[in-house]
Amino acid sequence: MKLGSLAFRNIFRNFRRSLLSATAIAVASMSIVLLYSLLGGMEQDMKYNLQTYSTGAIRIRNLEFTKYERLNPMHLTVENPETLGQTLYKINGVSAISPRIGFPARIYKGDATFNAMGLGVNFETEGNFQDLGDAVVQTGRLPREGQNEALLGYKLAQEIGVTVGDKLTILSTTAVRGTNAITLTISGVAVFPFPALNEKTFYAPLDRVQYFLKMPNQVQEILIKTNEAASASQIAEIMRGWPGMSAELEIMDWKSIDSSYSMIEMASTVYGIMALFFFLLGSTVILNTTIMIIYERMKEIGTLGAMGMSGRQLVTLFFLESLYISIIASFLGVALGMIITVILQKTGIDLTASMEGVDIDISSVLYPQLSLKSTVLVFFYSVIVASITSLIPSRRVRRIEPVEALRSV
Amino acid sequence: MLPLYKKHTVVLILGTLLLIPRILSAQSAESIIQKMDELQSFDSLKSTGSLITKDRFGTKTVTFISWSEGSDSSLIEFTSAAEAGQKILRTSEELFLYFPDAEEVIRLQGAALRQSMMGSDISYEDMTDGKDTLDKYEVELLGEELVEGQNCYVIEMTAKSRRVPYPKQTVWVLKESFIPQKVEYFSKSGKLLKEMRVLEVMDMDDKMIISRMVLEDKLKKNSSTEMILETIEVDVSLPSNFFSLDQLSW
Repeated sequence: MKLGSLAFRNIFRNFRRSLLSATAIAVASMSIVLLYSLLGGMEQDMKYNLQTYSTGAIRIRNLEFTKYERLNPMHLTVENPETLGQTLYKINGVSAISPRIGFPARIYKGDATFNAMGLGVNFETEGNFQDLGDAVVQTGRLPREGQNEALLGYKLAQEIGVTVGDKLTILSTTAVRGTNAITLTISGVAVFPFPALNEKTFYAPLDRVQYFLKMPNQVQEILIKTNEAASASQIAEIMRGWPGMSAELEIMDWKSIDSSYSMIEMASTVYGIMALFFFLLGSTVILNTTIMIIYERMKEIGTLGAMGMSGRQLVTLFFLESLYISIIASFLGVALGMIITVILQKTGIDLTASMEGVDIDISSVLYPQLSLKSTVLVFFYSVIVASITSLIPSRRVRRIEPVEALRSV
Repeated sequence: MLPLYKKHTVVLILGTLLLIPRILSAQSAESIIQKMDELQSFDSLKSTGSLITKDRFGTKTVTFISWSEGSDSSLIEFTSAAEAGQKILRTSEELFLYFPDAEEVIRLQGAALRQSMMGSDISYEDMTDGKDTLDKYEVELLGEELVEGQNCYVIEMTAKSRRVPYPKQTVWVLKESFIPQKVEYFSKSGKLLKEMRVLEVMDMDDKMIISRMVLEDKLKKNSSTEMILETIEVDVSLPSNFFSLDQLSW
């Protein structure tokens, strides 16, 4: 009888035992598929949030701004953003541009004061850059250019105790390093997918913010989005050498600006190590089961040995048994992980409650991302680890004498 | 051995003798500060001037017209192009900011008072400190010192309550004219926060007005604000409700 078919038949001879090993392998592989999907979702989400709300794929600022950022140097501006924008659109790979003015503000409402972050954007062109449509605006509408209006994050609105139609006065530092205040009417309240925006941010028309902060034809930064295929760092390099690009501008790609994405990348390596431990944990179950099998099947081993099967053949037999179980269990585990991921991809994981007050660039509803590459890797990884683990106890079979084995049990 | 009543008498005499210089110096310090305040107090005053702030980013000039009455009421209107129309009103109790594009007047209170006024080294809180120094501070004469070749009394002032911007101040007052030559402002822990030096004084008959002074924020690097009064009118006639919210948006 061929060893392969004998090994396959042995799986069903003690099905409960085989099921225990298979379950351990399946649970480990399913967990790792889910873990990688979650991590993939977090990576994608953080990349989108950073590129949309925070840094863009590429950010253009005054060369000195970042150096003095903690001093709020509003006078270190980017001049003529429209002309510059037209130039930038000529570069291959540039898909959207957002000229912005971000400024810390103190909101006065009656006798109460609140700290907030203001963001001046061009609402007419911002649609190309971020979704500021109906999905975001909970009540009211977007502010209109030329109007002293604001769109508030819903938590900020709750904190201040205002709603659409109410007015609030904001105070900030101007580009001429003075102070100015303006009264804005709340045109809309928004629920942003990015929690930090809901708590502290209000949007206002760029032209009014330029007027308020004494920044005629100036912005604080220009954020640029690139096509999926294009590399932000390469486009940034092209921009630096682009004819007419001022030497007084700092052009940086998003990975160089923000360290949080690098943290996720680093976390990915850490999770890889954690995955290995998962399997090692699963492997102890396999190891334990295989040892049990050897002891339970001593008589059988003795009989096979007496019939002339060599130690090497016995090891192969036990290895093949484990290999079959590993393949079936890994496949089922990975398949289950994929099914759960696909479901979660649609429903999302609501982290709103747990992310309360957490300042991290991840959305409150997280959508795991299934990566075919990592899923295939998990499958082969599971099979290899589980099979190799079974070799350790089955090597003992080589040293068992048939007579001794037949005498036992 | 001395009888008990004699012991008490000796203690009383010794104690009184030890306290005399302190009492005298305290009285002396109070009279110096009182005189300093009186010299700079006017029924009403109108002035025009400028604030020149120098910091790591360059020099910025803000011009203003200022009105004041007594020691507690003042109104500043900024006239430089970037700040045109902005006003600061100080009454005995409160401080208000008026901005032409804001529909409501901002009442500053608490920590907001520590904000820089127009990006200068002067905080809004600095403006709340009136001329009635002795009501707010315990004063003590530490001695005399030469400041830029001029004889000065050195007086330490300790706040009586928390309602003043600086818990401690050291003032160098010119012996000859009773004008402050230099003031150092300290935190409660004794950290030097700001330093003010008087550069020019204008003689107005029997009164004196500091017409040019420089203030340095010691917590900022290379930052100073010079205040120059270009024109000064004393005892100007002002309407009774001049220092009120109604007048802010005229």
